[in-house]
Amino acid sequence: MSVFEIKNCKKSFNDIKVLDDISFKVDEGEVVSIIGSSGSGKTTLLRICTFLEFMDDGTLTYLDDSIVKSIDGKASYIGQKDLSLDALNKNKDLTRIKGYFGLVFQNFNLFPHWTVLKNVTDAPIYVQKRDKNEVIEKAFIYLKKMGLESKAYCYPCELSGGQQQRVAIARALCLEPKIIYFDEPTSALDPELTSEILKVIKELASEKRTMVIVTHEMSFARDVADRVIFMDNGVIVEEGNAYDLITNPKKDRTKKFLMKYDG
Amino acid sequence: MANLNNIIIQIIGGAGASLIIFFSTLIISLPLGLLITFPRMSKFKPLSAFFVFIISLLRGTPLMLQLIVWYYGPYYLFGWTLGLSWRVPAIIIGFSINYAAYFAEIFRSGIQSIPIGQYEAASVLGYNKSQTFCKIIFPQMVKRVIPPVTNEIITLVKDTSLAFVITYSEMFTVAKQIAAAKTTIIPLFVAGLFYYVFNYIVAFVMDKVEKSFNYYR
Repeated sequence: MSVFEIKNCKKSFNDIKVLDDISFKVDEGEVVSIIGSSGSGKTTLLRICTFLEFMDDGTLTYLDDSIVKSIDGKASYIGQKDLSLDALNKNKDLTRIKGYFGLVFQNFNLFPHWTVLKNVTDAPIYVQKRDKNEVIEKAFIYLKKMGLESKAYCYPCELSGGQQQRVAIARALCLEPKIIYFDEPTSALDPELTSEILKVIKELASEKRTMVIVTHEMSFARDVADRVIFMDNGVIVEEGNAYDLITNPKKDRTKKFLMKYDG
Repeated sequence: MANLNNIIIQIIGGAGASLIIFFSTLIISLPLGLLITFPRMSKFKPLSAFFVFIISLLRGTPLMLQLIVWYYGPYYLFGWTLGLSWRVPAIIIGFSINYAAYFAEIFRSGIQSIPIGQYEAASVLGYNKSQTFCKIIFPQMVKRVIPPVTNEIITLVKDTSLAFVITYSEMFTVAKQIAAAKTTIIPLFVAGLFYYVFNYIVAFVMDKVEKSFNYYR
């Protein structure tokens, strides 16, 4: 069963096409990695999947929930008249659907005025309205998994970048999402901390969590992802089994891109 | 010496009047400032433009003039004779609205200095607009605006002396009257000392407040 599906997604910024007819889906338990050079539209795509950006045309479905339909060549979001972030945050349908996914940002975006524990538990308690004790219990399970049990009452500024990113991952996990998106989760970290985060994501992959990872770490994508999508100039150039695509790309554009990483 | 004691006692009487202006203005203008921050930041252009204009008017004309308008305006504009009982309300309204304009701009800059990533993280986690503001943006904004707000509060202590313009006997007015009656400059120095001590306390308290937010960066 597919957890997420996007079809014929189009997006322009001021008449500049950023995404052109993007379609892909993610099955349950699958790890999909999106690679491509900067400006290829990877991040915009992820932002559309998480409603931080609106698409111009296309359809988007989470599980059985059809959230965006294409009507007369224009994207129509359920329960949404004008496409502004303000209106979006008032949209009750989308609030429910946001529970389906978690997003881990490149620069963590933890709430600095809250302890680690509050960062992880607040949304499940006050947005998802789950039982407080249950959520706190879960939070400790995830923090332990991230090796941060002892940091539960610290503030983000007391943690290293790698630790902050692991808190952000725990925060996403605590929402019990069906799918977790990672937007270049290691780009703000040094190589040592990067391997620390990649190890954590690898562990999540081995638990068969559904994940979409935008990354520049090719060997990581090769080893951890089931499927890789290579994007360039707003289109999907090549898509396929992770190991095959990265070790033996078919398209010239993909070969050229991957060559830069071989060094 | 008895003379100095006498001066000090009279000035303390005036200081009470100054404190009334100070505390009333603070209690009203801080929330009022926050209240006008929202329409000022509204995406609905006519509304924000209106408040930009109001704020520019309040910041661009002397507070002294604004006090005169609030006090005498009702008579000259509408023919209302409100009498002396209108003096204290007029002073408090004039000060509060004027300071609210400054605070609104300080709050706006504080809100706008919060990184966009905080809004995005809140959005993805499913917080609605008011939750995002109350739980995530507002507390961080408060920390950021403490230094400029402290500046305004210190200015307010000294600005209370402007109430003389509508013949309100605040501390500085009292000091001037004694100075004129007794042909001595000492009352003015005593008043100056009072302002200084009061602002020293303000700075001390605000420093404590600022430090209480140091648990995070």
